[in-house]
Amino acid sequence: MTRVNHSTETMRKRTDRDVILKVRDVSVSFDMDRGESRVLDSVSLDIYRDEILGVVGESGSGKSMFASALLDAVVRPGQLTGEITYYPTEGEEIDLLDLTPAELKRLRWEEISMVFQGAMSSFNPTMKIRQHFEETLDAHQRDREEGLAHARELLSDLYLDPDRILRSYPHELSGGMSQRALIALSLVLEPRVLVMDEPTAALDLLMQRSILTLLENLQDKYNLTIIFITHDLPLVAGLADRLAVMYAFEFAEIGPSEEVIRDAAHPYARSLLKAVPNLDAPLERMRPIAGSAPDPVNVPTGCSYHPRCPLADDECVEVDPGYYDVGENRVAACHHWTKSSEAIPYLVSETDADQGDNVGAIE
Amino acid sequence: MQWLAKRIGQALFTLWAVITLSFVLIRFLPGGPIDYLVVQLRKQGIPESQISNYVRNYVSFQPDQPLWLQYLDYMASVLQGDFGEAYFLDGQVFDILAQALPWTVFLAAIGTFLTTVIGIVVGGFMAYTEGSKFDTGVTLFSTIAGGIPYYILAIGLLYVFAYRLQYFPTGGQVDPELVPGFKWPYIESVLYHAALPILSTTLVGWGGTALSMRGNSISVLGEDYIRIARLRGLPRRRIAIRYVARNAMLPMYTGILLAIAFMLGGSVILEEIFAYPGVGYYLFQGTVSRDYPVMMGGLIMISTAVIIGVLIADLTYSKIDPRAAGEGDRESY
Amino acid sequence: MASQQSDGERVETEIPFRTTAETDVSHREQFLYSVDRLLIAPFRILWADWRARVGFLIILLYVLMGTVGVLVNPVPTAGMDERYLQPFHDGWLTFESVSVLGLHLPLDPVIYLPLGTDALGKGLWSQIVHATPSMLKMIIAGAVFSTVVATILGTLAGYKGGYTDRSIMTLADITMTIPGLPLVIIIAAALQPENPYIIGLILGINNWAGLCRAVRSQVLSVRERNFVEASRAMGLSTPRILVDDIIPDLMSYVSIHFVTAARGIIFESVGLYYLGILPFTTFNWGVMMNLAYTTSGALYTWQSAHWLFIPMITITVLSVGLILFSQGLDRIFNPRVRARHVKSVSSADDDEEQTSPMTTVPTN
Repeated sequence: MTRVNHSTETMRKRTDRDVILKVRDVSVSFDMDRGESRVLDSVSLDIYRDEILGVVGESGSGKSMFASALLDAVVRPGQLTGEITYYPTEGEEIDLLDLTPAELKRLRWEEISMVFQGAMSSFNPTMKIRQHFEETLDAHQRDREEGLAHARELLSDLYLDPDRILRSYPHELSGGMSQRALIALSLVLEPRVLVMDEPTAALDLLMQRSILTLLENLQDKYNLTIIFITHDLPLVAGLADRLAVMYAFEFAEIGPSEEVIRDAAHPYARSLLKAVPNLDAPLERMRPIAGSAPDPVNVPTGCSYHPRCPLADDECVEVDPGYYDVGENRVAACHHWTKSSEAIPYLVSETDADQGDNVGAIE
Repeated sequence: MQWLAKRIGQALFTLWAVITLSFVLIRFLPGGPIDYLVVQLRKQGIPESQISNYVRNYVSFQPDQPLWLQYLDYMASVLQGDFGEAYFLDGQVFDILAQALPWTVFLAAIGTFLTTVIGIVVGGFMAYTEGSKFDTGVTLFSTIAGGIPYYILAIGLLYVFAYRLQYFPTGGQVDPELVPGFKWPYIESVLYHAALPILSTTLVGWGGTALSMRGNSISVLGEDYIRIARLRGLPRRRIAIRYVARNAMLPMYTGILLAIAFMLGGSVILEEIFAYPGVGYYLFQGTVSRDYPVMMGGLIMISTAVIIGVLIADLTYSKIDPRAAGEGDRESY
Repeated sequence: MASQQSDGERVETEIPFRTTAETDVSHREQFLYSVDRLLIAPFRILWADWRARVGFLIILLYVLMGTVGVLVNPVPTAGMDERYLQPFHDGWLTFESVSVLGLHLPLDPVIYLPLGTDALGKGLWSQIVHATPSMLKMIIAGAVFSTVVATILGTLAGYKGGYTDRSIMTLADITMTIPGLPLVIIIAAALQPENPYIIGLILGINNWAGLCRAVRSQVLSVRERNFVEASRAMGLSTPRILVDDIIPDLMSYVSIHFVTAARGIIFESVGLYYLGILPFTTFNWGVMMNLAYTTSGALYTWQSAHWLFIPMITITVLSVGLILFSQGLDRIFNPRVRARHVKSVSSADDDEEQTSPMTTVPTN
């Protein structure tokens, strides 16, 4: 059991892969009457070029803040600290948190773009979809003709009728249509990175699945790096190359999807997987996680998961676990990760594997 | 198109309701017009057999006919623009009111326009500077200004600026010696005479518009699409106008409708105070002298103006809010 | 809701046998609880807002004027003193001596015609005070009438839907379009009402439409909400649902409307009296303004200007008071503003919100 005190070293070992975003000790805090509220607590992570990274966490775990931080778009009065480095191409280096307003404006949407949940409320209700594309192109001094041609291509890629969508008002589109139109809008300036915050939360299951398939196609075609943020672990399991599980404003476990799903090391990740409804499993095996998510003002000392963790002991209360190497390219923040699979057993459900295959099959 | 037809249909229906209402008032109000007329005519020594005909001249129907015939008679006359003959004033009611109507519409239109525009601009700025001294100051000022009844302010303005300081005239619409036309001296005189009436409705009215615009803008500023527009790098100006202002204006539609009705309806008191001979002024004079044809004509005339104003607002609104056209159907299910 | 139920349960389990007493207690508790929930708690929140506080005090002042003030102040009669006595003239406030420990000290204040007199020597302050009761009666009649009509029609329209809804809404639209003031003037001129309650009813005749619309859309949105659906699924009767779930949600609209309607009625009644359309049978601020304007040329001379301006100021202060009060109400009831308000007041609620209990991992 090798214990590495901080992630940096572990991460460096793997830089044989091409990193596009390097996140180091990034925190977001709000000053509140009750004290400082840390909604993102010094997270560090590398995001590789052309990968799909799934970020999973329950609501209030800080995952939306992580998304905002990647665009340096934390809502005021939130304070963003730390270091985010963006590598547009290999060798080129941009310090994301040290940009002038003009540079930041260029970075957002042109390099790193974002899709929010609730596409319906993401468009100006008094403007046609076409105008949204046009004004975005204008604001970034792009040629309208070319840009719109690209927009049409994107819309077709997303199985939409470009003419119809462009001349519609937002309220004339269904949820799935406007979500896809929003994805097209986020890609119109050909960014390299796409951050998606719960992009499918408001849609029905069928629409979720088909959008994921389309995303994979887009990612292939346009060489996108996608950060897919969701509370829905099974949804992203088949799609993502790697998974990062968030708990209490930190990453609990980071690793390749398949391995994390098959045998997660962190007790929280295991509990999440255990709580997944599975038609094959008898009902009593599905366990909700007892207890509640921590308050950002009063995060428990030591391991923040200890109040809910069956493995917790004095060490967990006192010492904040750093990342342990738990496999190739895998880390988990747990002192007792070796015992977790015994303590929290779950069946690797066939459905999860199936889902992965299914997505592949539709492809 | 279907929506347009529906709106126009609704306007016509309202017009019909107004005319019917005025018929009911004339015909059935106890101690009302008919009795009053008959008594007056008898006093003048008109032979009993002639009275019914005389009454018809004034109110467009003969009281001794069956009710449904009276109603149809009245309806037909009004729709032809025949409001009967004025009892005390000289001439046909329609002619008197028709030449007065443009003045009333002029006051109401300018009043509504200024109230809305000033309210929207100031309210928008208040939202952008939420919590600043400007915001709290204007909030306080417009709350108190909005609390003053417009006719109280009108009397106050008249007292100070017309009687005491004599900056403005105490009555009338225009200097009667000027020849009407689109020439500056004439227009100047019209504006000069309209200044105090317009000032009294606008000063009282803009505050309410500003406060609701402020509230709407603040809630629009919290919408997702504003955040995304900023991330997309749109210019601040465009976000302020095309995104915030435009969406914040939409819920104010009802307020504007009420403002139109308020401005036109309020003309009765306002025009009386400023001795400004518009429809309201005649309606009031008619009421004081129990000149029922003038009263009813005035009511129908003002109501028609409101109906048309509302229709215009409706059509404009559908241009601003793309969802408006479908709304009517969705709302009534 | 939840605590109300648990209170009832607790009583039942504690005294299992004394059935009558038990229901008494629980009724009593429920009543006290309702008083607390419907009156005391909102009032406490109301008091925290300066607008509502100032507005409430102003309204209270006028209510006192109309109830206690009438008893304390003499009925105004002609020739109480010389004509056109100016407000705050010499001697409006004097102190009579009181013997304290054998010393005669001027300690007992006497207020004498503080606002001066009119052309007939009638005290203006007395006139202002004695005009208040009929004003309050008009407000009660008019605002209650329009509020009740609007709530009933709006609830009916929203709840029944279909044909009922369409006809009520068409009626409301027409009422909103027909300009109220000219209509009221015509009716008032023809009927010449003297009873303040009747005047109030006439003035409130076209006030109901706006609230009716608001109530209807509120009922529609409440109807869609889960807990109403749940109540319906549980087989609760329609009136029960209306009383328990829908009416409380409407209180905000109703109370704000009531204040606005009251303001409208004051505006219109004073306006109509000022224009001389209503018969001058009672004391009214509008009558004072009319007489000042028409009989003594208050606009031209300084001498009688106070006769005109005192009632004007009286109306304006009341109107501002009502507007402040209704804005205060609005801030309390408007959910967005309220949320902010609650957050700033108590951090306990905040805690609750943040640490929402996590029962199961959401999967869809």
